[in-house]
Amino acid sequence: MIAQQVLNGLVLGGVYALFALGFTLIFGIHRIMNMAHGAVFMSGAFIGLYTVRLGFPLWVALPVAMVGAGFVSILIEVVAFKPLRKLALADAELASIISSIGAGLIILSIGQYVSKTETMRFPFGTVPIDAVVVFGLRVTALQLLMLGVAIASVAVLALYLYRTPQGRQVRAVAGNYRAAQLLGVNPNAIFYQTFFVSGALAGAAGVMVGLAFNAIQFLMGEPFLLKAFVAIILGGLGSVPGALVGGLVLGLLQSLSVAYLPALLVDAVIFLLLFAILMVRPDGLFAQSTMESPTKRV
Amino acid sequence: MMNFFAPHLPLLDLIFVGTGYALSQAIVFRAGTFSVATSGFAAVGAYAAAILTVKHGFHPAAGVAVGTLLGLLCGLLLSVPLARLRGVYQAIASLAFVEIVVAFILFFEELTGGPLGFHNIPRAATTWTLFLAMLATMALLILLGKGGIGRAFDAIRQDPPVAASLGVNPTKYHVLSFALSGAIAGLFGGLDAMRNFSLTAEQFGFAILIGTLSAVVLGGRRSVMGPLVGTTILVLLPEIFRPLADYRQAIYGLLLVVVMAFLPFGVYDTIIMKLHNRRLARAGMLLPPKAAS
Repeated sequence: MIAQQVLNGLVLGGVYALFALGFTLIFGIHRIMNMAHGAVFMSGAFIGLYTVRLGFPLWVALPVAMVGAGFVSILIEVVAFKPLRKLALADAELASIISSIGAGLIILSIGQYVSKTETMRFPFGTVPIDAVVVFGLRVTALQLLMLGVAIASVAVLALYLYRTPQGRQVRAVAGNYRAAQLLGVNPNAIFYQTFFVSGALAGAAGVMVGLAFNAIQFLMGEPFLLKAFVAIILGGLGSVPGALVGGLVLGLLQSLSVAYLPALLVDAVIFLLLFAILMVRPDGLFAQSTMESPTKRV
Repeated sequence: MMNFFAPHLPLLDLIFVGTGYALSQAIVFRAGTFSVATSGFAAVGAYAAAILTVKHGFHPAAGVAVGTLLGLLCGLLLSVPLARLRGVYQAIASLAFVEIVVAFILFFEELTGGPLGFHNIPRAATTWTLFLAMLATMALLILLGKGGIGRAFDAIRQDPPVAASLGVNPTKYHVLSFALSGAIAGLFGGLDAMRNFSLTAEQFGFAILIGTLSAVVLGGRRSVMGPLVGTTILVLLPEIFRPLADYRQAIYGLLLVVVMAFLPFGVYDTIIMKLHNRRLARAGMLLPPKAAS
């Protein structure tokens, strides 16, 4: 029983990790919180669903959803964040949160209009319902798919960040924006790339969640974003390996608490944990010396 | 005159209560704290007032008073852990606080009605009550803002180390701003309960938080008038442009993006700043642009 819950938790955690990675990537580079990330996640699920409804198989719909969500994310950068770059950092922090909440609301209403406020589901049989039994654990095809997508996406992201010239430029901008610019890095190109990657990861997470819970609706992003904060903060805001570990921990925590706690208490536990982490270790498990300190120095 | 206003009284109620929430949000911004806990305080005040009035036979005014005190208490309690954090970390921690309050309201069903909501609250708060409460709060904040407390808030917001070096204790004013924010939100939460007949936990979740934040940012987050202006715009806009009412969310979103891009200090504060600069320019004392902002 507990082993099964751990497995379910790891699968869910992989999806949380995809989502958290996209969010933390943006924060690591721009020092801003993209509160529209939940809306990007929702738009990924919508694009995937409508592609499947047009008669395409899932292996076409998933990349389409990732690319589509990537472009939605770039659009947010252009509309909501670019105009704010002239502000001082302290002002930009608040302004970018408000502005991205606004962008998220716009995407949300488009989703509401398109879906006519209905809860939609992938057609039956989009993923085969077969299951295999390994060491007494029941593993469904969907869970294998979710794990596979999460592992593949994280591997591609790691290769991109740590093994390509573009990735080196991204890390340079994250480390020191001015120095990178002086050395000939075009920050705008980096911004577009990172927003695209972040959106694509959220889009993949959206399709996976849509498949797993079989409920796609325009409000699906908000609660997911709020819960994913646990993963993001636990790993350390801006830390890529941290988001991965944080996502897995959150998935485990959620699936174990759903199994052993009253249903209405699960959210309270998750948010109490978030608060506790912020009090005890606000810079996360993997504190980075290059990051701005989360605590005051006065 | 009253006949003209009568059909619009519910709108006025919304503006007065909304302004109360927005003032509670604005006061922490003015003190340089990035907390969004207002809707959590409001939920505490509202449920306390409603439960005491309906289940324990308190006079509505006493219920609201207790709600205000509990809001203040929550503000004091939350200010301690939040004082250690800065910027976005404060925002996330206060967001977690709001979600914890909402989750507990849903969980303690016998007390709060849980997911079904809390009903049969008497309508004890008239439009006049709400108006007077808003006016009194604004007067209090203007008085505080004009004196040493306002100057200390401004100094801490603009540069905490400089403020500290000048003998302003940031922690003291941080706690004060949270106590004020909690008390104001608790008061208007209680009044909101006495106005609305029923309460639900979702009412105080992420949605109202966004509404309050939008009002403050739209109007202006450094003045006392800003929240009133912002709330009035947000309440009246969908009413004036009736066909647009279906797209309320999209309009809010668009407003937030556009205002942030073009008027980052909000409608009211930007106008005041422009007028101030013009007066200075006429008198030949225009400050360099940096100091003026």
